[in-house]
Amino acid sequence: MSTNTVSRKRGLSFYARIYKKILIQDLKSKMSYRADFIISTIGMIMTNLSGFVTFLILFRNFPSINGWDYHHMLFLYGFSLVALTPVQCFFDNNWNLRFQVQSGDFIKYCFRPINVFFYFMSEVFDVKGLGQLAFGVGTLVYAWYHIGMEVTVLRICLLILFLITASLFMIAIMNFAAATCFWIVGSGYVMVIMFRFKDFAKYPASIFSGIFKVIFTFIIPIAFVAYYPSLAVLDPCEAPVLSWCAPLLGILFFWLSYKFWMLGVRKYDFTGS
Amino acid sequence: MENAIVMKNVCKDFKVLNRHEGLKGSIRDLFSRDYKTVSAVKDVSLEIAKGEIIGYLGPNGAGKSTTIKMMTGVLEPTSGEILVNGVVPYKERTKNSENIGVVFGQRSQLWWSLPLIESFKLLRDIYMVDKKDYEDMIELYRSLVDIEPILHKPVRQMSLGQRTLSDILAAFLHNPAIVFLDEPTIGLDVSMKDKIRSLIRGLNSEKNTTVILTTHDMGDVDALCKRIVIIDKGSKIYDNDIEHLKSYFGNYRTLKMRLSDDNWVEEVIDESKQDIMKIIMERQKEQKIKDLKLEEISTEEVIKKIYEGASK
Repeated sequence: MSTNTVSRKRGLSFYARIYKKILIQDLKSKMSYRADFIISTIGMIMTNLSGFVTFLILFRNFPSINGWDYHHMLFLYGFSLVALTPVQCFFDNNWNLRFQVQSGDFIKYCFRPINVFFYFMSEVFDVKGLGQLAFGVGTLVYAWYHIGMEVTVLRICLLILFLITASLFMIAIMNFAAATCFWIVGSGYVMVIMFRFKDFAKYPASIFSGIFKVIFTFIIPIAFVAYYPSLAVLDPCEAPVLSWCAPLLGILFFWLSYKFWMLGVRKYDFTGS
Repeated sequence: MENAIVMKNVCKDFKVLNRHEGLKGSIRDLFSRDYKTVSAVKDVSLEIAKGEIIGYLGPNGAGKSTTIKMMTGVLEPTSGEILVNGVVPYKERTKNSENIGVVFGQRSQLWWSLPLIESFKLLRDIYMVDKKDYEDMIELYRSLVDIEPILHKPVRQMSLGQRTLSDILAAFLHNPAIVFLDEPTIGLDVSMKDKIRSLIRGLNSEKNTTVILTTHDMGDVDALCKRIVIIDKGSKIYDNDIEHLKSYFGNYRTLKMRLSDDNWVEEVIDESKQDIMKIIMERQKEQKIKDLKLEEISTEEVIKKIYEGASK
């Protein structure tokens, strides 16, 4: 009988390995439901197309918004699509959190010797996000070409860094919104409202005035989901300080949302519902 | 004999908000600090030896699952001490969970869309089980139950019985020192119940795993447990052998009579208060008794008596 007296260490590589295995298995089983797979792919394409058409119609009527011309807006649009991919692909289980908490099924995540947040999120990988990613990358490349920006290694690195930054903000917003379910019953609304807010990410935050700008920058940081990070890529010399602070703020904000989420788990434990 | 679990004077209180009725009341509740304390577990002390199968019983809401949650490290006791495999569960939840397995009735903990074997492989990685230990365990499973039909089936396609079976196998996979089974046979048919019971017995004797079984099915208790612990309203009211339990209400017998209409009538009789012969004679005055049986009181009846007695 081998009783484990020594607690073994589970580091980053351990979690990466586990995630990879779950992902592969999950994809395999998703492929086996072919009709489901095809329909959700079509649905994803339609959603993206309709979003894009709305965007085009808008620009037929307003050739520029607050100094942003068509191709810069397109860049922002593509940027936000790519930045929203990770939250869609890897953190989609947040949408199920409140059901699991209310039914009591959530307790199963507390019995394994791994991080509860990781275990919970690893259960769902949403393939639909990949369509959005392809769409977003396409838009980004097209806009980049028409703006006529130089393609340098530095610019590419900036782009990747600030895309990651932007996604951290969106993930954090959804973590905060989802974790409210540990305290309040009507948390579904909070999530839906936050998810709606993401549509504002497609527009330059400079169009919002006064109080809204403050709210979307510091309270619900939607402006960081595309606007500030993309400024750093589009025009590094003229970008505001907030753009350059974004990566650190993103990490901080994500960390806070994780802590908030885990605090919710603790609170859930205490009530033991 | 080393103990798998030691609990000393464990209490658990919950703070519950005093809710008020109506819209006005719910707005008041938002800001109210008007809490009352509810004791879910009161001063429970318990020692469970390695390799034991313990029946942990009590009526609904008695505090069973609160105790289990404290032992698994999900809840922190308000006062008292708990040691599980020498670890304080709440302080070292991760370390504790390496050495326990948990099955919660109808809530599967397996990956819904994955075939069972893939769930096993993931668990093997999560618990860092040695390749050889893992293969030995699968071999042991094969010898105890017919796992071939379910091994490559996704959990979502399984029947309730197959799912329960899978969950139990998954809980034992990393060879934990203690396995908690909460209502493992709920909703299962007779033959499946039997299969599950013999599997638990087999795993317990092969691996010397301590099993904490909470159930409302006295069939489980009779088939598996030597010792039972009963709690009611948070307090331990019984902790002893199952044989002793019967002598606890030893003066009770079940009298079964087949009357002239061929129906069997049952009566639980307290011999210290009633005379069996007298009852039979009185019956006979009314109706002809064709057949008679006098039986030991069943575990189920005893437990019922205890629950009823305790809640008075």
